[in-house]
Amino acid sequence: MLSHLPDALALLFSLEGILVLIFGTILGIVLGAMPGIGSTVAVAIVLPFTLTMGQSSAILLLLAVYAGSVYGGSISAILINTPGTPQSAATCLDGYPMAQRGDAGLALGWATVASVIGGLVSAVVLVFAAPYLAAFALNFGPIETFALILLGMTCIVSVSTGSVIKGLLAGMIGIFLSTVGGDPIIGEFRFTYDIWQLYSGFNLLAVVIGVFALSEVFVRASAKPTGVSELVDFRGVILPKLSAWRGRLRNLGKSVVIGNVIGVLPGTGAATAAFISYAEGRRSSPNKEAFGTGEPDGIVSSEAANNAVTGGALVPTMALGIPGDAITAVMLATLTLHGITPGPRLVEENPTLIAAIFAGFFLINLLLLPLGLLLSRVAAPILRMREGFMMTAIVILCALGIYFVRGNPFDLIVMGVAGVVGFLLRRQGIPMAPLVIGMVLGPTLELTLRQGLILKDGNFFAFFESPIALVLAIVSLVALALPLVRAVLASRAAQ
Amino acid sequence: MNIRATLGMAVAATCVAGAAIADSFPERPINMIAPFNAGGGTDLLLRGLAPHFEEAIGGDVFVSNMAGGSGTVAASALQGQRPDGYQLGYFSITVSTIQPQIKNVPYGVDSWTPICSVAASPTMLIVPNDSPFQTMEEAVAAIEGAPGEYVFGSSGPGAMTHLTTVAAFAGMGVLDKIRHLPFQGSGPAVKELTAGTIQFFGDTEILLSRGDFRPLMVFNDERLEGYPDTPTASEVGIEPPLNELYLWGGLFAPAGVPEETVAALAEACETAVGSDGFKEFAANSGTVINHRGPEEFDAFFRAQYEANGALIEAAGL
Amino acid sequence: MGAFTREPVLVQLGVLAIGCALYLSTLGQTFSDVGSAHSPMFFPRIVLSLWIGLAGLALVQSLRTTDGQSRPHSLLRLAILVLAVVIYSNLITTYGFFLCSVGLALVVLPIFGIRHPAIVGVYALAVPGSLVALFNHGLGMPLPTSPFTYLF
Repeated sequence: MLSHLPDALALLFSLEGILVLIFGTILGIVLGAMPGIGSTVAVAIVLPFTLTMGQSSAILLLLAVYAGSVYGGSISAILINTPGTPQSAATCLDGYPMAQRGDAGLALGWATVASVIGGLVSAVVLVFAAPYLAAFALNFGPIETFALILLGMTCIVSVSTGSVIKGLLAGMIGIFLSTVGGDPIIGEFRFTYDIWQLYSGFNLLAVVIGVFALSEVFVRASAKPTGVSELVDFRGVILPKLSAWRGRLRNLGKSVVIGNVIGVLPGTGAATAAFISYAEGRRSSPNKEAFGTGEPDGIVSSEAANNAVTGGALVPTMALGIPGDAITAVMLATLTLHGITPGPRLVEENPTLIAAIFAGFFLINLLLLPLGLLLSRVAAPILRMREGFMMTAIVILCALGIYFVRGNPFDLIVMGVAGVVGFLLRRQGIPMAPLVIGMVLGPTLELTLRQGLILKDGNFFAFFESPIALVLAIVSLVALALPLVRAVLASRAAQ
Repeated sequence: MNIRATLGMAVAATCVAGAAIADSFPERPINMIAPFNAGGGTDLLLRGLAPHFEEAIGGDVFVSNMAGGSGTVAASALQGQRPDGYQLGYFSITVSTIQPQIKNVPYGVDSWTPICSVAASPTMLIVPNDSPFQTMEEAVAAIEGAPGEYVFGSSGPGAMTHLTTVAAFAGMGVLDKIRHLPFQGSGPAVKELTAGTIQFFGDTEILLSRGDFRPLMVFNDERLEGYPDTPTASEVGIEPPLNELYLWGGLFAPAGVPEETVAALAEACETAVGSDGFKEFAANSGTVINHRGPEEFDAFFRAQYEANGALIEAAGL
Repeated sequence: MGAFTREPVLVQLGVLAIGCALYLSTLGQTFSDVGSAHSPMFFPRIVLSLWIGLAGLALVQSLRTTDGQSRPHSLLRLAILVLAVVIYSNLITTYGFFLCSVGLALVVLPIFGIRHPAIVGVYALAVPGSLVALFNHGLGMPLPTSPFTYLF
């Protein structure tokens, strides 16, 4: 593929190519940064335009908007605790406390650098290792995926600030919410009580926006009104000093690897990667005690991983013609419209185009840094407007965003109710991040568990004949048991 | 001039020339609903059709998405809309004929005014290139020799990919000797077909160009041009109504749209589907154009509704 | 008995009760027999059992701790806001995005202490108005419209 790089670069550095990359990235960041509006809506907005563009421009525009909106999502997650996408939910955990402490600019600085590095590394990995990674993905059948999702579930323990019982409870509520609607194996409806609006289940984004963004509006309304107060003290992104990275590089590297590996596996996604990486960061970081209170390592873990997924998800897409997530599915469909057949021979048959996509992806990640800095300066005054204006805009934008996710009016009601319930639960110290993890991982957990049981004639223990599944299960057990053992030892020592 | 007089004149004008109302029909934008997410196959087909439809009808047309419940949410919502011709849905065989017979949805065979069919492709039973089975007979013999050993996949319960394999194995009388493994969407299922977790899959011709796969039989009334060596289901010995299965889709409006409006929409649809622009789009995206007018489509739709009942019975849905 | 009127206990009791009710609703249902596949209720029952168990534990925890919780500054203000948002999310598809958003802004702005009539009016009209103009008429991705006109 490298031999086609010159042609690809010529394609990119045309006037149209550069305009598409810059415009797409800016649009993505701006849309992603708006509370309530995430990647799904951002991509839906540009999709009609891509139909009339050339093939490489169309794909690059989608990629730029997507990567931009994932980065933009971390802006609203950090500044106002409203993730636009589930994958930014892990960023809230430390980003928002840091912003409340008055370090909003610095928190965004950590997020920016981590995002850019995560994206760049994954772009390089994509170019050199795509075929090997694709072969690895083929070894991951339903049973192995089940074990991986189980490992993801253990993150609930690490993101449960306060009480682990309440965190697990929130996780169970999340998993339950994901089971409402059609059964994945025989298709019959569950918990719908003959209300057809419930047939499509609870939309993940509607719940996420409700429990994070809307409940945040309620939380602010229950405080004493100040009227004139600024929402956040934010004057633009401040990049962390090089010396501040000392002791954090290992965490960064590990997060990038986690993001890449999980991105390669179809059907897992960026939110899973962000949470697993956050949990691993919390387990191994020298600053683990500070996680959840505004620790840069927490932001770095989440952001580096969720951006690395973008590149990882392109691997099965390009090497096998199998979409790695919802957005790569849109890209594949767009390719088909331009007469290009996705499949194992995609790279062989369209080497220049694919090289242009890879190189474009690298450039987009490079662009995130200057454009992020620039846009945050421009946007800072808007964010400093009075609380009331901001809160009104948040509610309206959330409704708009959720309406466009899948055009389902019922999702709006779900968002409203989730906001109220989320507010009530938050007041009792029940954390919302585990609920999101449960909802993200629940469907895959159930599907793969039951697929595995079909394949193994109902024998659950036969799952662990697969070495990958066995290793992952042991790691999950250790991840669960270690904090407990430590706690017991600590209490013994105290006596 | 009072309102009654205006109405009277309008009615008179309609009687004199039906074309008059057709001219005035789209007074505001027409909404075409894709029952799946933006960027999916159905959505893109509709977005490919919309500009040509817009041109043919002489008014604005926009595509919106309403996803969820395997397409039933959009159909359920559309069914309750005013039948004024401004709300159309693009529904496939599964949304319009399968789902209402297996699920408790608020719509059925009489809820629609079919406008026109747009596309239809016969489905095929597909195996990986390195599969040991060259013919249907070999596959059936192997399945009978090792009941419960082989697995077929689908993109979800009740999806076209599921019904195709059910038609194949029920038609051959071995459905109870093979396991069904549903996935969430085609992507993961195709991945497992490549990896070998599942041995059989059912889909249209498009899938064959996307990987190292080959067909064992085709659910068409004759052999396909591109695959002259692949037998039809009837040749292999599958009896009607399981021997023909097409993934088709078309535009539907809620029941009770006035005849003049149906005529205007149908005419626009015929022009749009027949346009060079849409033909080029179809060739690029692997869509097999299959146009039917309102009466013909209505009859076809009702016949399919009946026939698919047998299939649903066989699938045990 | 005073413990049962405290907000944390009430909410935890509610969570427990919902879990139990959902579990009970899984018992009476019958599904078609599908051979090797498990019942659709197989997985939800596991999850709901854990839900009930954990909710019970959390309830016991809340009964034991008596530390007070910060009360909302003004319950009335909060109640109006919550009501406004819930009504808003229910009415958008019936009365259109524009009209509902204008109404919402007229309620929410004063709640957050912005009371100047001119500012409230301009903001309430301008924000939804520009969004509707952009999406419905600029991008061709219409938001829900009112029953009165297809323009907004």
